[in-house]
Amino acid sequence: MTDREGVAPPVEILLVEDNPGDVRLTKEALKEGKVYSNLHWAKDGVEALEFLRRQGKHASASRPDIILLDLNLPKKDGREVLAIIKSDDQLKQIPVVVLTTSKAEEDVLRSYELHANCYVTKPVDLEQFIRVVKSIDRFWLTVVTLPPAKPQ
Amino acid sequence: MIDITERREAEKAWQGSEARFRALSGLSSDWYWEQDEALRFTAMSGGVFESLGVRPEEFIGKSRWELPIVGVSEAVLEAHRAALEARKPFQDFEFGRRDAAGRMYYVSTSGQPVFDEDGGFKGYRGVGKDITGRKTAETALRQAHDQLALKAQELARSNDELQQFAYVASHDLQEPLRMISSYTQLLMRRYGSKLDQDAKEFTDFIVDGAARMKQLIEDLLAYSRVGTRGSEFKPADGEAVLYKALANLRAATEASGAAITHDPLPTLTADESQLVQLLQNLIGNAIKFKGSETPRIHVGAKEEDGAWVLSIKDNGIGIDPQYFERIFILFQRLHGKAEYPGTGIGLAICKKIVDRHGGRIWVESKLGHGCCFYFSLPKTQREAHS
Repeated sequence: MTDREGVAPPVEILLVEDNPGDVRLTKEALKEGKVYSNLHWAKDGVEALEFLRRQGKHASASRPDIILLDLNLPKKDGREVLAIIKSDDQLKQIPVVVLTTSKAEEDVLRSYELHANCYVTKPVDLEQFIRVVKSIDRFWLTVVTLPPAKPQ
Repeated sequence: MIDITERREAEKAWQGSEARFRALSGLSSDWYWEQDEALRFTAMSGGVFESLGVRPEEFIGKSRWELPIVGVSEAVLEAHRAALEARKPFQDFEFGRRDAAGRMYYVSTSGQPVFDEDGGFKGYRGVGKDITGRKTAETALRQAHDQLALKAQELARSNDELQQFAYVASHDLQEPLRMISSYTQLLMRRYGSKLDQDAKEFTDFIVDGAARMKQLIEDLLAYSRVGTRGSEFKPADGEAVLYKALANLRAATEASGAAITHDPLPTLTADESQLVQLLQNLIGNAIKFKGSETPRIHVGAKEEDGAWVLSIKDNGIGIDPQYFERIFILFQRLHGKAEYPGTGIGLAICKKIVDRHGGRIWVESKLGHGCCFYFSLPKTQREAHS
């Protein structure tokens, strides 16, 4: 990976989250991080898939480098979205970080069974939340080598 | 000569057997009956009166169908009618009737067709008996069974609801809470320097309240999981269980310098991880509520009426006897949060675990003189549904 500061294009993040409070909080946390990123927001599972497939108003959407996915979403919930992404040859290379309030064992297990790349519980404490978003940011966007963008 | 002698002897034998039969049928609470070729009763022995309180004469001249039959399905009735028309024997035909007072009684009857020498049908004869007691018991049993099935269904549904509630609690209730505390903290982070001391104090209360609410929700969840997430009961080595509980308490034990001793502990039939939690909560309390002395805690075991009774005795602050019941209730606390932290979940969870194992939990204590918690676990276990 090249040095992302200044030279590299911004990292594209798709946040699938129904709670605007959480979206804003994630934005604020990312602001404190070092990575230059574009945060895209899908408010439910259906919109997330439209974004990923560049349908409707998302026709010119950029392909995300990473997806932050909440589990409990209106319309199509996160588990379904995860299953669809991970069985789609065009999309399955994109790392999916499940970011949710749920600590329930069945949610953790089910997410990994559906090939989530990792599962993170949202902390109640702001400092911890910022730390978590920053470490997702740091690990997935600077430490890890992501698959090269597919020509489409 | 020979003919007459034979006939006389036959007659005598017949009269003898008739007499013996009458004597017997008079003794028995069952009764004997006879019907003619039109299936009308021609004879009915006295047993029917003793059993049912219906005089035999009331039956004479009437067919079985003239007296209303109840409590028999149409199919069974039809099969019985067909057997009679085919002049076949029948066995244990059971039916109900109402007597003059409207009281239900049940009868079981068996009959044989009677034919003359030429094979002409002459009627039926047979025996009847009163089965009202058995039928009533059967009905009661069936009702109890139905009720039990209904209860089991209700239980399964309420368990499902509880599990759903647990999920709602862990997710949906926490999300708004996270918003409250996160944005209050964000407010302080960004604008803290512009706010005065009062404003900071107020926001501290918001954040503290949210944190406590979160703790309560998590404790409630843990409490509900005792019933819904328990494992099977298996033999568990009591000492291994104790050591696991002590390992989980190491920090508290070391900090307090507590001296913990124990009797040889038996093998217990239990949900092992719940047993660890039970001992851990009780020993943890013994350490937490220590007096001025270094805590001395002893875990004892004795046998009593087919159960193991374990005890956890300490030299801590003790409990006023008036609170012996209250301490096991969810979120009941005897001390201020500043003195002793906690939500008041520990003993409620202990009680729920012991209840699930069909045991009992209680405490003996005098304020200022330490306390001793006891719990019993039946040696032979079947899960009690709470």
